[in-house]
Amino acid sequence: MIAIPFDSSQVMQGIASIAPEAILVCTAITVLMADLFLAEDGKWLLCWLSLAGVLAALGEVYLLGSSRIVGFSGMITSDGFGMFFSTVVLSACALVLLMATGWSERAGTQKGEFYSLILMSTTGMLIMAKGTDLMTIFLGLETLSIPIYVLVGFQRSRMTAIEGALKYFLLGAFGAAFMLYGMALIYAATGTTKIPVLVYMSVGGGMAGSSLFLAGMGLLLVGFAFKVSLFPFHMWTPDAYEGAPTLVTAFMSAAVKAAAFAALVRVAMLLFPGVSPAIGPVLWVLAVLTMTVGNISALGQNNVKRILAYSSIAHAGYIMVGLVAGDLLGSQAALFYLLVYAFMNIGAFGVLMLISQKEDDGYDIHNLRGIGFKYPVLGALLTLFLVSLAGIPPTGGFIGKFYLFSAAVKNGYIWLAILGVLNSAASIYYYLRIVVYMYFMTPEGEVVTPHTPPFGYALALCACAAVVLVLGMIPGAVLTMAEQSVLSLLM
Amino acid sequence: MADLVFVLLSILTVVSALIVAGNSSVIYSAVGLLFTFMGVAGLYVLASADFLAATQMLVYVGGILVLILFAVFLSNRISDAKLSNPTHMRVPSAIVCIALFGLMSNAAVTTEWAVKTNVEYAPTTAVLGRLLMTKYLLPFEVVSVLLLAALIGAALLSRPESAKAALKPDMEEGQ
Amino acid sequence: MSLDKFLVVSAALFCCGLYTIMTRRNGVALLMGVELILNAANINFVAFSHYLGKVMGGQIFAVFVIVIAAAEAAVALSIFLRLFATAGSVEVDTADSLKN
Repeated sequence: MIAIPFDSSQVMQGIASIAPEAILVCTAITVLMADLFLAEDGKWLLCWLSLAGVLAALGEVYLLGSSRIVGFSGMITSDGFGMFFSTVVLSACALVLLMATGWSERAGTQKGEFYSLILMSTTGMLIMAKGTDLMTIFLGLETLSIPIYVLVGFQRSRMTAIEGALKYFLLGAFGAAFMLYGMALIYAATGTTKIPVLVYMSVGGGMAGSSLFLAGMGLLLVGFAFKVSLFPFHMWTPDAYEGAPTLVTAFMSAAVKAAAFAALVRVAMLLFPGVSPAIGPVLWVLAVLTMTVGNISALGQNNVKRILAYSSIAHAGYIMVGLVAGDLLGSQAALFYLLVYAFMNIGAFGVLMLISQKEDDGYDIHNLRGIGFKYPVLGALLTLFLVSLAGIPPTGGFIGKFYLFSAAVKNGYIWLAILGVLNSAASIYYYLRIVVYMYFMTPEGEVVTPHTPPFGYALALCACAAVVLVLGMIPGAVLTMAEQSVLSLLM
Repeated sequence: MADLVFVLLSILTVVSALIVAGNSSVIYSAVGLLFTFMGVAGLYVLASADFLAATQMLVYVGGILVLILFAVFLSNRISDAKLSNPTHMRVPSAIVCIALFGLMSNAAVTTEWAVKTNVEYAPTTAVLGRLLMTKYLLPFEVVSVLLLAALIGAALLSRPESAKAALKPDMEEGQ
Repeated sequence: MSLDKFLVVSAALFCCGLYTIMTRRNGVALLMGVELILNAANINFVAFSHYLGKVMGGQIFAVFVIVIAAAEAAVALSIFLRLFATAGSVEVDTADSLKN
């Protein structure tokens, strides 16, 4: 019997590196337990409890700061990059929970399971964003996905919900399986799964000649493509987005995308330079096809949730532009865009949730007729978020797109930038179509009466609007933060 | 001797995997999957992974396969004589897969592997256990969260419908 | 019995899984395809762990993959049951009330 060595300083360092995740898991279990003891009319407490947990985790992220803490023998690293994405994911989670306060009872999601699944999924996202070993990234991916599969099918009496869950599950499982096989091939070619070691081996094109390594990278990319819904692995997106309760849709579109892109940016920034000549053109084509397919499919939709689903595919394409550019500016722009995207998308879904009377048919674009003048605040908010999604100044969406495309131009991808701008222009059509329905279409019969938002809900919407506007006018601080976090990755 | 066993196990694994892929009945596919899992467990033994072979038998054959069989029987009317499992786009898929197989095996055979000179066979359970408690502690903990989530999720989705009464009427008539 | 033979078996399993995924429309059959790919990846991990003299990382990864496969299968079963209760079938094509 050999005693397991115990080094208290390493243990403390390990605990520090996963402190936010630990807080989230503890909150999830507490919520689950509290659910058993609370009476039916006391369930509203669960939401506030979860929100408190998320805010505590966010506070812990800032206490840890951007200093580099390597925990668990290099499995996970808490650094500036992790801090940036933890902020994005945790704010998305906090916004969604804030909306859920006082709203869950209406959507039937006032259950302990709902909140604990959201918290566990968030844990998986943080682990994926901070993972510095392919094993951690894979486990984080699964930990974030499995709760989301269930959450999509949460309103299980609706056919669309369970169909969305089925499609999301099957395609997610394919993606995970391909990614795993890719990791197996990378392990085959190099004998390790640790990203820093892989970087060391692949630097200067050291692995470019190994067909196994290339194939592994390709399959890894396919796995990520499923998660961030890149063409041609995007088919699940509209179905899953439509089937999920809108709260979950907002959460998925913002947080899952951010976490998956976090791991993708880490892998792409560190490993792709070693294999660049082979993988650059692939990324280029993926980016263009993803934006184009997303935007073209969105044009003909009448369900607002599906329009936003296809628009989220297109946005994955825009963010890929930053990765194709491949330099500091490109990644910085991608990070900035992911942050803005989280706020504007959650905001847009939030307003739509108030207007629609029920799931499915409630999200038909015709229900928006006449909303604009009768309910000016809601109309203005939705317009603001859509304008930002379309990339029109003075919003954060414009700044994000501006930096993404200028990164492409700076690195000589002129055509990519032109195609991106054209796509962006095409997308204005379907975003403004929603606005036109709100302001210029006379309603058939009564204008729908939106729900009055509870206090927390209104607060969340205001926060989204404020962030979108502030980032549109003074983006400097956040851009610097994004730059710092990419630099901390490259160190 | 070991080579012969390897060949037999490989044939068992691949042939039953072909049955999974090609047979038109879900039941036959499920039985094919059973033999694939057993063949893979045998291969693990030959690669000196005794603990994994046992886990494979317990979890895959004893757990996952039973779940899949449950899914097959519960999701098809058993009175239907034929549990159909139609296939689409057979020929192009087959061409893609065979080409890919050729490429991958070519890469495997032609690569110069830095194989260890003395391949040793030793029990692995103690080593694995120690590693799970030291170097791989974090993945171990993450997997526990994942299992908890899967447990809650599966229970939530398959619970009887009665909880529906708690929904407000305006959201309930979603469909 | 050498490393490359293990890899050929693994490649064969991967391709069978891929073929299943590409051709089937039955949810349960698709899940079987995923399981085949996971097994193929596991053979790779175990074989490398054995032959290349690295520490046990590959075998540990394989342990986690088995756990994840079990978790996925459990969630899958509950989704299939729910779908069957609602729609009477687990064919992906019958689940088409979602338009494109």
